[in-house]
Amino acid sequence: MPQSDEFVIQTHNLSKSFGAVKALQSVDLAVPKNSIFGFLGPNGAGKTTLMKILLGLSKPTTGTGTIFGYNISSDSVSIHERIGYLPQQPRFIDYMTARENLYFAAKFFFSGPHSRIVERCDEMLELVGLTDKANRAIRGFSGGEKQRLGIALAQVNYPDLLILDEPASSLDPLGRRKVLDVMDRLRKHTTIFYSTHILDDVQRVSDVVAILNHGRLEACGSIEQILNGKGGVVYTISTKGSPENLEARLSTFHWITHSSVTQHNGSSIWQVSVIDEKIAERQLLRIFLEEELLVVTEFSRKKFDLEEAFIDIVKGDGNGK
Amino acid sequence: MANNMDFILVQEQPGLRGLTNLIYKEKSAWLKTRRWWINALIWPLILGGLVANMLLVSSAFNLDLTEEVIAAGGRTAYVISLGLSVFFEFGIQAIAIGVIILVNDLLVSERQSGVAEWILTKPVTRWAYILAKLLINAVFILLFLVIIPAIVTYSMLSFKLGALFPILPFTYGVSIMILHSLFYLTFVLMLGTIFNARSAILGIAIGFLLGSSLVTGLIKPLLYVLPTSLPKIAASVANNQSVPANLLWPPIVATMLWCLIFLFVARNQFDRTEF
Repeated sequence: MPQSDEFVIQTHNLSKSFGAVKALQSVDLAVPKNSIFGFLGPNGAGKTTLMKILLGLSKPTTGTGTIFGYNISSDSVSIHERIGYLPQQPRFIDYMTARENLYFAAKFFFSGPHSRIVERCDEMLELVGLTDKANRAIRGFSGGEKQRLGIALAQVNYPDLLILDEPASSLDPLGRRKVLDVMDRLRKHTTIFYSTHILDDVQRVSDVVAILNHGRLEACGSIEQILNGKGGVVYTISTKGSPENLEARLSTFHWITHSSVTQHNGSSIWQVSVIDEKIAERQLLRIFLEEELLVVTEFSRKKFDLEEAFIDIVKGDGNGK
Repeated sequence: MANNMDFILVQEQPGLRGLTNLIYKEKSAWLKTRRWWINALIWPLILGGLVANMLLVSSAFNLDLTEEVIAAGGRTAYVISLGLSVFFEFGIQAIAIGVIILVNDLLVSERQSGVAEWILTKPVTRWAYILAKLLINAVFILLFLVIIPAIVTYSMLSFKLGALFPILPFTYGVSIMILHSLFYLTFVLMLGTIFNARSAILGIAIGFLLGSSLVTGLIKPLLYVLPTSLPKIAASVANNQSVPANLLWPPIVATMLWCLIFLFVARNQFDRTEF
């Protein structure tokens, strides 16, 4: 059996075109084992297309990919043995109850014993907080309940990989929180690959993030790497007074790539971008303190949030790759 | 969480992975909904009612001993031949329409709702998905649309005759009816893999059912390769009338081949379908 130890999902040069529309363009992806991999992108970026190709529901125009070392185009059944999938809008067999749907999903993997399958279904219902609605018809479920039941269905075989397409996008804040809690609980058992356009969710639960835009993979790495990739490390220094020659002096240091100053409520706010964090930590504050006409009131490393990085990348001026 | 060690894992032929569970689902789609009893009631009532009308009501009128009646072997034999004609010639067409209506939605609804997509992310082959639909729907459709009405009709024929109606010719006639129904079942299933709109599937299938009689009337050789003549053949065979072998076997063999061709196309088309 082919195995890939370090990465669960790997794609190489994966592309998909619908006529003249390029939905995916040369996507090279590597999803580490036991990670929660957040797959970010604006609507229409190609997230669902990529997931469908990974699941064997759609064929790539060019390129290849593997899941657990199996070819995504030719070994779908072997891959499906070990994964769980939650579509963007989970669908169920509407003439079955929640428990019957779970039992039906479980029977794709297990032929018995019946009592253990029933136990597993009950366990899944408990995991997603739907025990009290187990015997209710699906059509009476709210959006959040359907989403959670969808996760239970995806998880019923204890998959090694969960693929979730926008698991929380259509939910209210409470529903979203519950879904993220479930994902958090599952993280120690499985690799989770999920798409979203909700940045807060990514920042809350993801270990690794990829950003897809117009079918291209623009950035991929840990959240820290994505944020750092935005333009190096930036320090913010607030001062009283602003010597004329300081900006010119800063530009003489090779480890400072850019500096700027703005005035705010009588203070000067300096933004200094550096390429070498260690030198900056030792020397940058000292440079400012050496200025006699200057009083430093605040010195800090600027914290970017994912939203800034995402918007920069999606707008096309990011350098995250 | 525990692991999967204490479970018995599904063991199936690789090419038919998921078939057992999909058969359970298709069976549930009949038995856990109103579909089974509606069809179990409607078809015996429609077909049985029409045959009863011919056998019981028309015989209430004192039929003249016309040449036709005499040629048939008397009043009872004539009325029975009318009953057989209604059941096999009209019934076979009505059942074909029933099959088209029941089957046209099988694939399209699940594709449009996303259920097919979800199922195909489980360890199932696409062929198992199609085959489960074919097998279970064939069983229930043939049971409710053909076999139960045939039993009702056979009982009425025997009642009218005052003795058991000859079972063998009647069974041959019903077998031809089954073949005709399977033709439309596989045809519509195949259309469901090609088209994503119910209107297209219904239009083509019903258009073929109604139009093929006209076309074979204009182009006679088509009678040998299309199932158009099967209703008449079924009625004649059931009435123990001899049908020349050159008229009997070519459409039967051709219809069987068409069923296999439709399945082959359905399988290939569904394998290529993107979700």
